Amino acid sequence: MPSFLWDTKMTAEKQKTDVQQGTLALMVLKTLEVLGPLHGYGVARRIEQISGNLLAVNQGTLYPVLLRLEQEGSIASEWGASENNRRARFYRLTRDGRRQLQEETRDWKQTAAIIDRFFAAKSEEFS
Amino acid sequence: MKAIRRLGARLRNSATRHSYDQRLREEMEEHLALQIAENLRSGLSPAEARRQAILKFGSLQAIREDHHAEGRLLFIETFVQDLRYALRMLARSPGFTLVAVVTLALGIGANAAIFSVVNAVLLRPLPYTDPGRLVVVPEARPSANIAGAGMSWPVFTELRAHSRAFSALAGLAAHALTLTGRGEPADISTVVVTGDFFSLFETKPLLGRVLAPGDGKQGAAPVVVLNENLWRSRFGADPGILGTPVTLDMRSFTVVGVMPSSFRTPFFTQTDQLWIPLVDDPLFSGWTTHPQETHWMPVLARLQPGISFAQARTEMATFSASLAIQFPEEHGWRLGIESLQSAIVGDARTPLLILLGAVGFVLLIACANMANLLLTRATARQKEIAVRIALGANARRIARQLLTESLLLSLLGGLAGLLLAAWAVSSLASLLPADLQQMRAIHVDGPVLAFALILSLIASLLFGLAPILFAAKSDPQAHLRESARAGETRGSQRVRSMLAVAEVALAVILLAGAGLLLRSFARLTSTGPGFVPDHVEKAMVSLPQFQYPKPQQWTAFSNDLLARLQAQPGLTDSAIAAPLPIADTFVNLPFTIVGAAPPPPGSANTAHFATVSPDYFSVMQIPMLRGRLFSADDSPATTPVALISEALARRYFPHQDPIGQQLTFGFPPNGHVSREIIGVVSDIHDASLSSAPGPMMYVPFAQAPLWGGEVVVRSTLAPADVAAAIRATTHSIDRNLPVTAIESLPQAVQASFAAPRFRTLLLASFSAIALLLAAIGIYGVIAFSVSRRTREIGTRMALGASPASILRLVIGESAKLVLLGLAIGIPAALLFTRYLSTLLFAVRPTDPPTFIAVAILLVLVALTAAWIPARRAMLLDPMVALRCE
Repeated sequence: MPSFLWDTKMTAEKQKTDVQQGTLALMVLKTLEVLGPLHGYGVARRIEQISGNLLAVNQGTLYPVLLRLEQEGSIASEWGASENNRRARFYRLTRDGRRQLQEETRDWKQTAAIIDRFFAAKSEEFS
Repeated sequence: MKAIRRLGARLRNSATRHSYDQRLREEMEEHLALQIAENLRSGLSPAEARRQAILKFGSLQAIREDHHAEGRLLFIETFVQDLRYALRMLARSPGFTLVAVVTLALGIGANAAIFSVVNAVLLRPLPYTDPGRLVVVPEARPSANIAGAGMSWPVFTELRAHSRAFSALAGLAAHALTLTGRGEPADISTVVVTGDFFSLFETKPLLGRVLAPGDGKQGAAPVVVLNENLWRSRFGADPGILGTPVTLDMRSFTVVGVMPSSFRTPFFTQTDQLWIPLVDDPLFSGWTTHPQETHWMPVLARLQPGISFAQARTEMATFSASLAIQFPEEHGWRLGIESLQSAIVGDARTPLLILLGAVGFVLLIACANMANLLLTRATARQKEIAVRIALGANARRIARQLLTESLLLSLLGGLAGLLLAAWAVSSLASLLPADLQQMRAIHVDGPVLAFALILSLIASLLFGLAPILFAAKSDPQAHLRESARAGETRGSQRVRSMLAVAEVALAVILLAGAGLLLRSFARLTSTGPGFVPDHVEKAMVSLPQFQYPKPQQWTAFSNDLLARLQAQPGLTDSAIAAPLPIADTFVNLPFTIVGAAPPPPGSANTAHFATVSPDYFSVMQIPMLRGRLFSADDSPATTPVALISEALARRYFPHQDPIGQQLTFGFPPNGHVSREIIGVVSDIHDASLSSAPGPMMYVPFAQAPLWGGEVVVRSTLAPADVAAAIRATTHSIDRNLPVTAIESLPQAVQASFAAPRFRTLLLASFSAIALLLAAIGIYGVIAFSVSRRTREIGTRMALGASPASILRLVIGESAKLVLLGLAIGIPAALLFTRYLSTLLFAVRPTDPPTFIAVAILLVLVALTAAWIPARRAMLLDPMVALRCE
């Protein structure tokens, strides 16, 4: 069987992207909740500031995420003027988005808590 | 919810791809501008500010493509793109496309056509309510090798009274009654039924009511139900028909109902028919009392809800055992249960499945050919593929594109095949016996379309994978650097040869099958029937029994008719007989030898029976072997006499002279008449040409008359004139008598092997297609091999090889393929031809001459196929050949 039929490398890469995008989406929603309506550049800056160098993501990947969130109805956008009077698209959280953020925050905290407990657990506690 | 919303978004995106792309690009540019401005503020040079911004942002193009892949129905778009490309590729090489589509159309079309018959006959449920619970209850006597017989009347009434397995049980029989008073007198196909017949099928009449059990009681007024077709053709679709009388065999019946033409009586499927209660029938009503032991009536039943076939069979076994005690003559008989569907299909099943298998092989060969064709093409397209890989297409993308091309080809082939099938199905009905043709209309419908589609998909995978597996996974650099031909891998040449070998092997199987059927058919047609049918014309004359109730009237009529016929010039060689061999259904009657020990109960000797006028043997030219034939002096007043066939004499009187011995037998109701054997005549094929002649007993018509019979005339006059004379002479005696079933005897004999002839023809055509495809396959492999080896051949010739040795080289390659194919195909064919054995007449499924002929034929075809490329190789100019690359 030739290799291209089972191109595992490709599948694995795709999964990695999905995880990142999910995380990124959550960051976008939180940013918009905290800072209110903001253009893409602003969102990117905020994420960069908060995460520091820990998150090595190309800023460009943010835009497909923004577009998708808008298509899913979590955020809305309209054209407006940026600080230095350039045309820019401003994003704001919708009601759906707020609810989604709450749900996902809860899920995320739960998951994180579970993972924490696993890491904290000593080997004898499993037996 | 989210998933649905996302799918909606994807669909929307696919439609509005440009606007989103535009927006994304604008926004990204804005972002970069902002970032650059910020970088400038932090003191970077303009160039560096821009560079840093772009680095941080990542590749614009990659992000946009990533977004596309995520955001749209990429699969469909790629497919559409591939489809467009495939269409362009096919349009660019019309020759290739035509060959491919025709090959596939033959393969898929043959399959769809045969499947449409299989679907109509074996798969589609019968047109009755809940048909799965309808069964036939046949009687069988394993000790005498009798199966599928009808039921005797006492057994039927006993079963009806005591069985708990059935919710309804009905017997039926059919013959013709004469309808008079409505235009030209006509014989109408009449189904004679017991009371529960219509309730068994749970059908509703078009007008009035169906027959009910009350109609079958003695003394009730005779009633009749008409078929819609008869009602329209004979009664002008008269809506007031109910309650009016019709005259059948000179007796008045009251019409009580009309059945829709869609209702078909199983086994008796003429559409112009009527139904009457058994009690009111002049013939069969008598059989309920007199011949107790005759198994004449087919019995249908509907299984009680909740009763399985196995339970019903168990009940029948118990019932058979109790019957043997009650009726000694039932000893050895067993009641069985068979689904109505399989009883109706009967013997038609095996040839259909065999043909389906055969067309399956044809399709496999077609696929092998296609795979070969595509492999050759893929090799020729190596450069194109290499360019695409170099430009960034990955292997999966290429494979998908090649598969799309195969899919397109096979769908085109499938479509053409369906057209072919739709055109062919009307003639395929000849595969089936007449009553089955009436019962099951064959057409290309939903299941056939689905079948063809699935076949096309499977075919496209079968042949589409070959080039992908063996041609597409090559190193692009090698192809771009070198010439296309160098890229031809050793592996793909081997695959090509293997495919050709497989084609030969499959063709061997088909040819062996067709060869055996052809040989069997030749044997069948060269078998003399035992009589000479040429120049004999026949016609059936029947006497309405209510008008001619007495046997004396039957004798008087036949004497009168024969006398008037023989008085006419050219018609002197005339006789009357019932039944006629091959043209009519045979009559099998039990007999006992007077003076011999009586056979144990249930093991009566039987022989075929015919009642004939004295000149019958000279008309039919059946030779007399010993004793004397019937004469005009054998009359009801003289000693009852009989003639026996050679087979009967050999089997029952092996060491003594049968002449002077006495047999007791007779047609019901005169079943127990002792007759003296006065002579022995030679054997004839009575039932069919394919069954061996069995014992036969003849009696003089004058001593055992029937209500009419078959008039046979040997004459040199034109058949139409003879038929007209028979009709005119009959009407000169009674102008209300129907003269039917007019046919020449050679025609009747021909018709008896119409089905084997047709299936032989079909299998022969399928194997001819297979042979042609295999020849093309071999030609393709050899031609390709020669062109690949042009330089090698040139070198050989330059070094002094003679043209003859080059010819041997190429032909040898072809011979290797065909011999390997034969080595695989002949054992495989021996495995498969076993299934043909029930269809073969006087030929064994391993018949050596057939297999030798097939092998020789294939070798000749393979050598012919290799001849063209071999000649080309032989005539090569070494200088040109060496320079060719």
